[in-house]
Amino acid sequence: MAEELRSAFHQELIGIQEGIASIAAGVTELIPRATEIILNGDLEGAEYLILGDAEFDRRSIELEERCFQIIALQAPVASDLRAIVSAIKIIADIERSADLCVNICKAARRIYGHELDPSLRGLIQSMGDQARVLFSEATEAYLHVDAVRSAALRDMDAYLDDLHRQFIQAIFQSHSGDTVDLQVAVQLAVVARFYERIGDHAVNIGDRTRYIVNGWVPEHPYPESDNEPSTPQLIAEQEEV
Amino acid sequence: MTESGKPMNIVNENVVGSDSGLQTIASSERTEVDTDTPPFVFETIDLNVYYGDFRAVRDVNLTVAKNEITALIGPSGCGKSTVLRCFDRMNDLIETARVDGRVLYHGLDLYGPDVDAVEVRRRVGMVFQKPNPFPKSIFDNIAYGPRISGMAKKKADLAVIVERSLRKAALWDEVKDRLSSSALGMSGGQQQRLCIARAIAVDPDVLLMDEPCSSLDPIATTRIEELMKEIKDEYTIVIVTHNMQQAARVSDRTAFFSVEVNEQSDARTGILVEADATEKIFSTPADDRTERYVTGRFG
Ligand SMILES: Nc1ncnc2c1ncn2[C@@H]1O[C@H](COP(=O)(O)OP(=O)(O)OP(=O)(O)O)[C@@H](O)[C@H]1O
Ligand SMILES: [Mg+2]
Repeated sequence: MAEELRSAFHQELIGIQEGIASIAAGVTELIPRATEIILNGDLEGAEYLILGDAEFDRRSIELEERCFQIIALQAPVASDLRAIVSAIKIIADIERSADLCVNICKAARRIYGHELDPSLRGLIQSMGDQARVLFSEATEAYLHVDAVRSAALRDMDAYLDDLHRQFIQAIFQSHSGDTVDLQVAVQLAVVARFYERIGDHAVNIGDRTRYIVNGWVPEHPYPESDNEPSTPQLIAEQEEV
Repeated sequence: MTESGKPMNIVNENVVGSDSGLQTIASSERTEVDTDTPPFVFETIDLNVYYGDFRAVRDVNLTVAKNEITALIGPSGCGKSTVLRCFDRMNDLIETARVDGRVLYHGLDLYGPDVDAVEVRRRVGMVFQKPNPFPKSIFDNIAYGPRISGMAKKKADLAVIVERSLRKAALWDEVKDRLSSSALGMSGGQQQRLCIARAIAVDPDVLLMDEPCSSLDPIATTRIEELMKEIKDEYTIVIVTHNMQQAARVSDRTAFFSVEVNEQSDARTGILVEADATEKIFSTPADDRTERYVTGRFG
């Protein structure tokens, strides 16, 4: 009775999903690399990571085009439609997250040669770790179309937001204690924000996975975090890479 | 709301000429829900239809709302046409057919004892899969119904009805200069619009369409679909279609029927699986069987 009538089409849907999970896994690896780069002032590593971004862009565009093809040729409905619509958005979340890793590396160049005090280093490490865990969980949840794991991402992200706040506090303390100059302080605030944004993208991926499962949509629109606290002007500029 | 409170008035006002036959319908049993009648044109209650001993559909509970387009979809043999034929009592014309349960039309029992089936079919028009114009002139095709029902007393009235019907069916401009030529010389798409105009000519309340576009090319199909959307302010439309994209494009609500196979007896019975807003059916259907059917994952 379970005869598959559109198997080529459904194979292509699975192919796209696997392609997306694969670039998402790539971003999951970028995050700890970016963290190491900023902590070690690794200029060469930064250069490589920045150059590698073109490949993420290329693969994202290719996957996006496959999604558009499906919409044009297959008129997807119901769960197929939800899968495609979510795929397009998730691709954007992943691509953007890769850009944020690039941004962290660019910040690493700007603060090159400045010593960071241990408490700040510790917090950067923690944010990097948490962002990586979030992204890896988001990838797994999407690949296994798991609504429960997806929903858990919001709590994990709350912890990252917390670290972000602690970090901003720590910057103020270091700055007033004159261990960090203003230039560096601003760069670090921005870096913290990049991690926080990566967490948001992971949450988005989870939300979009939940939409695939059962059409769930969040009650509140996604926070437009690009014009949130502290130094909005500057952050907007920084993200415009 | 005022309209739906007194559904029969709507029907009465629509009638142009003689209202003979209306009394039979109007005087039949009315369910006692005068103040809060939902705006349903049709409501089936535990509808079962048999052909001889064979039960074609089982326990169908379906509502059709006024001025909406309701699409019936589902695999071949699930009973879409059978259910559709209950709405204009066409099943009466099939000797073996037997209808069990109730079909309410504006709250009236359509199969009540003193309901006139012929009058029902004037109120509820049917457009078939293959265009079936009479071998007569375009004018006479449209004028036929109004003439025999006595709607038009004078020849001039008839001309008015013909023009109005052809305009509503978006056909007037194409045929106004050749009203006296044979309808059989028209293209398939034109013939189907002619059949819609013919159905409209007797001022019905409802249009039933059984796969009206399945023999038409995409352009003619689009025309009919546009036409349906244009006229739904005046009519209630129920369409059976195998083209799911068509159901998605034109309908407000979609009812998905399926075939249930009895393991022991191997009997195949049509059932209504789910009826909901069309956008819901095609984005997040509630029932897994609907999901599998619309995405092409069914057997
Ligand atoms: N006049 C009839 N006499 C006997 N059986 C009939 C008659 N009309 C329909 N049936 C049976 O009733 C069942 C439902 O048929 P129906 O034509 O309503 O299905 P349908 O959903 O319209 O199918 P299709 O999509 O092929 O038009 C089928 O098993 C069919 O064989
Ligand atoms: Mg049929």
